[in-house]
Amino acid sequence: MAEPVKQTEAPEQRPPASRFQARMRKFGAALGPSVVAVILAMIAGAIVILITWPDKTVGPFQNIFNAYSALITGSYGSLGNVSDTLVTVTPLIFASISVAIAFRAGLFNIGAAGQLAVGAMAADIVGLTHTSWPSWLLVPTMLLASILAGAIWGGIAGFLKAWRGAHEVVTTIMLNWIAFFGTDYLINSAPLAAPFGVTSTLALPPNATLPPIAGVYNQIFAHGQPVLDTFTYKIDISLFFALIALVVYWFIISRTTFGYELRVIGQNPKAARYAGIPVKRNTFLVMAIAGAFAGLAGSTNLMGQPGYNLTATAFSSLPTGFDAIAVALLGQTTAIGMLLAALLIGGLRSGSTAMQAIAHVDPNLVLIVEALVLFFIAAEFIPVLRRALPAWLRPRFVPTLQATVVARTSVGLPENGNGEAQDEVELSNLDKGE
Amino acid sequence: MFFQVLFHALTSFNTWQTALQFAALLVLPALGGVISERSGVVNIAMEGMMLTGAFAAVMITLLFHNLGVTNALCVIFGVLAAIIAGGIMALIHGVISINFKANQIVSGVAINIFALGLTSYLVFVLTPAGQGVPSLPASLRLPTLSWGPLSNIPWLGNVLFQQNVIFYVAILILIGVQFLLFGTNIGLRIRAVGEHPQAADTAGVNVRLLRYMCVISSGLLSGLAGAYLSLGVAGVFNPGMTDGRGYIALAAVIFGKYYPYGAAVACLIFGLGYGISLPLQDLSNNPNLASLLYTLPYVLVLLALVGVVGRTTPPAADGIPYEPGSE
Repeated sequence: MAEPVKQTEAPEQRPPASRFQARMRKFGAALGPSVVAVILAMIAGAIVILITWPDKTVGPFQNIFNAYSALITGSYGSLGNVSDTLVTVTPLIFASISVAIAFRAGLFNIGAAGQLAVGAMAADIVGLTHTSWPSWLLVPTMLLASILAGAIWGGIAGFLKAWRGAHEVVTTIMLNWIAFFGTDYLINSAPLAAPFGVTSTLALPPNATLPPIAGVYNQIFAHGQPVLDTFTYKIDISLFFALIALVVYWFIISRTTFGYELRVIGQNPKAARYAGIPVKRNTFLVMAIAGAFAGLAGSTNLMGQPGYNLTATAFSSLPTGFDAIAVALLGQTTAIGMLLAALLIGGLRSGSTAMQAIAHVDPNLVLIVEALVLFFIAAEFIPVLRRALPAWLRPRFVPTLQATVVARTSVGLPENGNGEAQDEVELSNLDKGE
Repeated sequence: MFFQVLFHALTSFNTWQTALQFAALLVLPALGGVISERSGVVNIAMEGMMLTGAFAAVMITLLFHNLGVTNALCVIFGVLAAIIAGGIMALIHGVISINFKANQIVSGVAINIFALGLTSYLVFVLTPAGQGVPSLPASLRLPTLSWGPLSNIPWLGNVLFQQNVIFYVAILILIGVQFLLFGTNIGLRIRAVGEHPQAADTAGVNVRLLRYMCVISSGLLSGLAGAYLSLGVAGVFNPGMTDGRGYIALAAVIFGKYYPYGAAVACLIFGLGYGISLPLQDLSNNPNLASLLYTLPYVLVLLALVGVVGRTTPPAADGIPYEPGSE
């Protein structure tokens, strides 16, 4: 991931030598701001460790080294750790698609957390009330229920935005908390709650769960022999669902009329209206679709991970909803970008426990780093940095369309202004235009 | 039966005491939100600013206590530290959203994450063995103001005259902000900047400066609320202790239609919903009815946005960075 940075720094102005080179340069320009943001945030995190120096038994720089190496080995150091990281990454992918598809239409979906909660709740209710159904019927029904519930939750915000003009940020935040407290109520209520005052639901029956990938592997390739230990390798088949969802997202955005309309609305709602695009209907639809993806994040995690139950008050502290915003922005709302960003953010999350155990650095450092990534991306700092540098240090002139425009699109959310949106060129349009 | 329970809950002074306490806690960040949004900067980061304030209040109070400063001074320094800490968070929001013209919602989300991460991290670093902040003794908390004989009035005394000192400060600030926004020249300018910055700029108003002041004051107020929460209500700091109150304050801003008094009424309603939830839960046989009642503020806001309770429209330039020279 490091090498494309160079590409942003100094792509000289010369005729494109080949399609491949042009492609690489564009790729680098697209990746640049995100990579630089992550690197800067990691440096800032290192400075935080340097100042606070939590582990006095080693030197401060050794402490930084220990922390970051623990972070890396804890997230991707062994197959078991990779599997644990992927458990975090899977719902993150779903939720970030939810945020990203709304971004594309110029909407800011802060509500992934709430949509995730109602999705998980709906799946749980279906699973616990139809225990006698066979697996092939029950599992799809549960997934469908979560899609529907999430879609309704997102759709409310979309409806309010389209027909009542209520800002979707406000409505989704409100809907989040309604979802958090509402699910708390349902989780503790009679038909679902586990006995003896435990504040969680009963576990789902085995026919309502998604099998771990290790288990499937054992069944198919090892003829039932336990080659892979399902306790070590917890990741379940919902990872594949998430990857499929990314493909579906890419397809919707760049290969369908609906996706095209979304992007037009996102870049210039007025033009969209003049062009006869049904802005209101599409606003409603995109929020519903966003909710559906987030709902899947909730249900797949519920049905795939051991425990197979929901705990009261857990949703409000679940970081997935806000991590998803970071992932969507970091990945610049492209499918590939979000996959990479989810692997990064999910890796930070899952490696942070190892960081605490080995380097005695509090896992909340990861939150600081994540917030800084958001700051750096939001502030569109690369053009500012370039201007701040003295002339002789400044990288040679960069063709504007390449770096600055893409840097802007990463956060140039149309929500930000009326006139601005028209000047901005979406990344995907660059793809086609050239 | 249910109505009997409801009646009991509504008439008990405990309910109203809690309601007013909660309302005062909410109204401070809500007023900050009103000022900030009126000037055209969307602020969803009251949660994070409150949390930072709560943290700074407890930490500075304990620091000065350990240095041997008298208790009253410790608390005063704690409150000041909270206000400054909230202001610094707001300054970050200001720099990013006014100078860098970043998306203000992204910035707000980042502030909330940053505040949660930073305070939790620092609690781990600054407390021995990282086991968290100890509960403060009564002498290091914000005191309940004594009103002499007034406090002994049967129902009213309990509700109105046995409140924390910040409660009365909050009322003063409420009146002050209402006057500032709608009774002074500065208030007119603030509203002009939020509605039509280009026009305000043409008329000689310094748009950026005014927006900075407004964002920072929203941080100062949120920080004060944080101090009230940690030094007054809870007497301790726990990571993530604001627990969505900043978002309720945001709801109050919108429910109150961006008016200080409106926000205060909204806070009172939300506070009553909170105050009534505990007795209702105790009196009814449903142990988790409270969770449902907690949703009340948010449901009300949604209804308000649908137009059932009257439609809410934000200031015209809310959330749009100002570009000099744009039309």
